[in-house]
Amino acid sequence: MVMNRSVLLPLIVLGFHAAVVAQDAPGRIDLNDPNLVMVESSAIPIPVEIFTSLDKLGTQDWSKHVVEREIRLDANRSRTAMLFGLVVSDGFIAVQAQDKEAVRRVGREVLRLASSLGVAGSVEQHANAIVNAAGQGQWPVVRKELDKTRQTVLNRMTEMRDDELVALVSLGGWLGGTQTLAAVLKQNYSVEGSDLLNQPDLVKQLKKDFNTLPARAKRGKVFNQVTQTLDHLESLMRADASGAISEGKVIEISLSTKNLVDSIYDI
Amino acid sequence: MTFERPRTGFAGLLLAVLLGGALSLRAQDRDPADDAPVEVAPSLDELKLVAQQAAIPHLGGGNPFILRESTWSGTVEPGKTRLIQVQLFKRNDYHFWIAMPDRKAAVNLNLYNGKGELLEAKSLRYESPNIASLITSPTETGVYYLRISLQTTVGKAQPWTVIYAYR
Repeated sequence: MVMNRSVLLPLIVLGFHAAVVAQDAPGRIDLNDPNLVMVESSAIPIPVEIFTSLDKLGTQDWSKHVVEREIRLDANRSRTAMLFGLVVSDGFIAVQAQDKEAVRRVGREVLRLASSLGVAGSVEQHANAIVNAAGQGQWPVVRKELDKTRQTVLNRMTEMRDDELVALVSLGGWLGGTQTLAAVLKQNYSVEGSDLLNQPDLVKQLKKDFNTLPARAKRGKVFNQVTQTLDHLESLMRADASGAISEGKVIEISLSTKNLVDSIYDI
Repeated sequence: MTFERPRTGFAGLLLAVLLGGALSLRAQDRDPADDAPVEVAPSLDELKLVAQQAAIPHLGGGNPFILRESTWSGTVEPGKTRLIQVQLFKRNDYHFWIAMPDRKAAVNLNLYNGKGELLEAKSLRYESPNIASLITSPTETGVYYLRISLQTTVGKAQPWTVIYAYR
């Protein structure tokens, strides 16, 4: 596809005047229609996107969920990729808790993990921005930089044809956020809040992405546990007819995700 | 088919907007003979910048949307559609923007629930029809489908980029 430069340039300087308009669209589509063209890539929600909804139900004590873990690296890049996703999700939790020291720690760990993955050069600027903004309590900036860090690493890995690591970073980030969400809900269960764990299709997508990874990307016993946990979560993270996820299921989700996160951190 | 490219930050966006303006002015000063076809491949980053520029007014003020860095990209033929599966969370508001390169490309965005039912959403139009956006407040947490449809106002398939924000 090519375009004339004279078409593109005026676009950039356009003013944008918005107005509400009606659009013609079918009232219903058959999602099983084989002719539908579905875009395959998925944008995994970042933890803060979910926490924003949870905070609307009342103030949460996020500081209880900030944990300091020792990160020991080994030669397994797949594990490092999952750790990277987990650490970024820890960063979002630290931002919710407005814990400057925890965010600074995350900034440093992000850089260390990025170095191990060979993408430090792309991340350094964002990691520094995280540390600086945390020092000044600029939480929206920290959130933005964490998202940029995550996306920069994903993009860089795609460029480097490390596609399997892309899926593992996404999976790690989602796992960290889900573990904390389930822990918050376990401590302060509400039917309304529980619906945030209603993500069966997202789990299905993550599972599919994980299952299609080559065997070389899933070496190590923790990756068997990933498969088992995702299978388990797919059935747990499905709301009942009232739209809720029961307290018992929330406890199970919390336990299951915590066990997997612990296993990823343990060597 | 989807593909991703390196992403540009907000500072980069502002710089690009300024640069874009400067380049545009220079383009207007050129001899018409210079307008002989200069075919360039549309960059996804450029499309993302156009979408981000449309988003800017919604990212400030008292109740701003927070722009995500994730994007979706692809190509769609005139008269055809694409569906993007998205996980949305109750109590949040979401704003999706789409941009295509050709100013004559009329694109629509619509949102369907997990049963394939069209949902009411606020659709916004911009100065040219190749940019559109949609605001929704899901009443349930779950999977939704964003439908992109390109009208037959252009003859060629169009690359597109979708960005989104939440609050």
